[in-house]
Amino acid sequence: MTRILTEHEAKQLLAKYGIPVTKESIATSADEALAIALQIGSPVAMKISSPDISHKSDVGGVVLNVKREEVRTTYTELMALIKKTVPNAKIEGVLVQQMAPPGHETIVGLKKDAQFGHALMFGLGGIFVEVYKDVSFRVVPVEMRDALDMISEIKGYPILKGIRGRKPANIEAIARVLVSVSEMAEKENIIELDINPLIVNESGAIAVDARAMVEA
Amino acid sequence: MLSSIFEPESIAVIGASNDETKWGGRILKNILSGYKGQVYPVNPKEKQIQGVDSFPSVMEIPGKVDLAVIAIPAQFVLQVVEACGEKGIRGLIVVSAGFSETGNAGLELEQKLLSIVKKYGMRMIGPNTLGIVNEPVNLNATVIGRLPSPGTISFITQSGTLGLAIAEWTIDMGLGLCKVISTGNKADTDDVDLIEYLDKDPATGVIAMYAEGIKRGRKFLEAARRTKKPMIAIKTGRSKRGAKAVFSHTGSIAGSDEVYSAAFRQAGILRVDTIDEVFDAALAFSCQPLPKGNNVAIISNGGGASIVATDECEKHGMNIVDLSDETKERIKNVIPEFASASNPVDTAGTSSYTAYSETIKALLLDKNVDALIAIYVHTLMSDAIPPAEAVVEIKRKCPKPVIACWMGGAGTDEGVEILKSGCLPNYSVPERAVKALAALIRHREFLETVKTRAAGESK
Repeated sequence: MTRILTEHEAKQLLAKYGIPVTKESIATSADEALAIALQIGSPVAMKISSPDISHKSDVGGVVLNVKREEVRTTYTELMALIKKTVPNAKIEGVLVQQMAPPGHETIVGLKKDAQFGHALMFGLGGIFVEVYKDVSFRVVPVEMRDALDMISEIKGYPILKGIRGRKPANIEAIARVLVSVSEMAEKENIIELDINPLIVNESGAIAVDARAMVEA
Repeated sequence: MLSSIFEPESIAVIGASNDETKWGGRILKNILSGYKGQVYPVNPKEKQIQGVDSFPSVMEIPGKVDLAVIAIPAQFVLQVVEACGEKGIRGLIVVSAGFSETGNAGLELEQKLLSIVKKYGMRMIGPNTLGIVNEPVNLNATVIGRLPSPGTISFITQSGTLGLAIAEWTIDMGLGLCKVISTGNKADTDDVDLIEYLDKDPATGVIAMYAEGIKRGRKFLEAARRTKKPMIAIKTGRSKRGAKAVFSHTGSIAGSDEVYSAAFRQAGILRVDTIDEVFDAALAFSCQPLPKGNNVAIISNGGGASIVATDECEKHGMNIVDLSDETKERIKNVIPEFASASNPVDTAGTSSYTAYSETIKALLLDKNVDALIAIYVHTLMSDAIPPAEAVVEIKRKCPKPVIACWMGGAGTDEGVEILKSGCLPNYSVPERAVKALAALIRHREFLETVKTRAAGESK
């Protein structure tokens, strides 16, 4: 049996292994949404939270850069929209989330392979992964040095190292995430996992969105 | 335990026949043609087969039997294997087909077969194998026409027919083989067992593989990582993209092939694209030492070939190293004034014994040079023999690897023979020579990584 974790659940799992994730909480009312937004600091991202909706933005379930004064109405609008577009979905509420910091979009993933166990993937996110599939793989477990090798293997590595006067991304922070993901692979019975994007800048790396499928 | 299969003192061939077009006939003939131990044909219908006394069943064989080669219809295999167990036979090669490769009924039969094998503590290759060759004991328990020339390359193949075709082809190439193992359905002995066995086998220096699927993936990687012997594999199905999983990006990109490549690389297995490359690399491993680094020198009597080689070297991360002044001076003395004494050295058409001998000596003595690619391009004005003699002569005294590339077809034949007898790997084009050298370098790098890691862990 497999189970799909919601974004929030997936991120709690990541946090358990020391991976930095966005500050976030699930609101079940417009008032609660505002309270969370005030705590996190606006603007915030607001995403519908449902175990039945895996691709949230495809159904209009994501609103970014929500200002403080818009949080309550956005909550109400999101709930109403989802009831219309995905009427049978079980809705847990709305995930109110810290906006992603500026930085490079990267992707970290895990997939259980039938023959060799878990494979860990790293690449640049966004169009780089969609079009160029500029990624590297290792079979877990990986240590810090393997993780650093994985990062340096992708073609886009110079982008992370900083080109045209841009500050270099924190490579060590990415490597730590890779090692942590490697560590959770078997312990958490993961079938598939995406951290997409893992935003990386000069100060660190943070999981902004995540999805996971586990053996239940 | 697998030694009863590879180095038996006596063999029963069950399903032996006088008809050489039948499996049991051909395999018996091949075994009899080289193998020095006791051979017992088994067939209830015959008194003598191919001039050897035959027995109605294994139980009636008077002496001890180590290995049974079974080539009878699948439905009779269980009962025969049971008898082999009773007889105290330790090793089985089950050539018979009609097991798990045919579907569920066959799978059930294979499981029954395996349980009998286990009950008696026997080891089995197959079923559905095309047999094994073990050259050092002149054992050819396959339908391959002849024994390969002696060598250190052992070849594990999942596809029987492809394996046999390749074995025949390597014989034509004059490539030395130690063992050829057609794994068949791998019901008992699988890739892990074979790698562990070949790792300990003193006659095996290089392990080559044709794999379609690996059982016990994790164990396989551990076994591969443990052996210091170079492993080269061609793995099919590269073109097969990952299943179109929609759940995650990772799932859609990480097809089994990508995972295979990563896993092989981590275990130090050189995964190559073509069958040529497997044996090109294997040939280099079987007769050349590993280079200490990736600094390469090239000598050629023609500029074009050395440029192709240089480009290919750079593509594979090798460094066309700057030569020391002393080396350049030595080279200048033996090549024409207008020729290039810089790396890649271009002798500008000269291929005399002295020019090649002195240049190669200078290059190999240069402490910055880790490996040499010696190229000779044949023309109507030149002779392929003297440069071949020069390189063979110097290589004999030098611990650095030398890879040869004698280009120009039939005109180079005699030169190529000299290279072969001097144990120099020779390739028909520079790209193949460079790729073979790249394999040596990659393997050395892998061994270094393993060593530094082991050192780190013991601290």
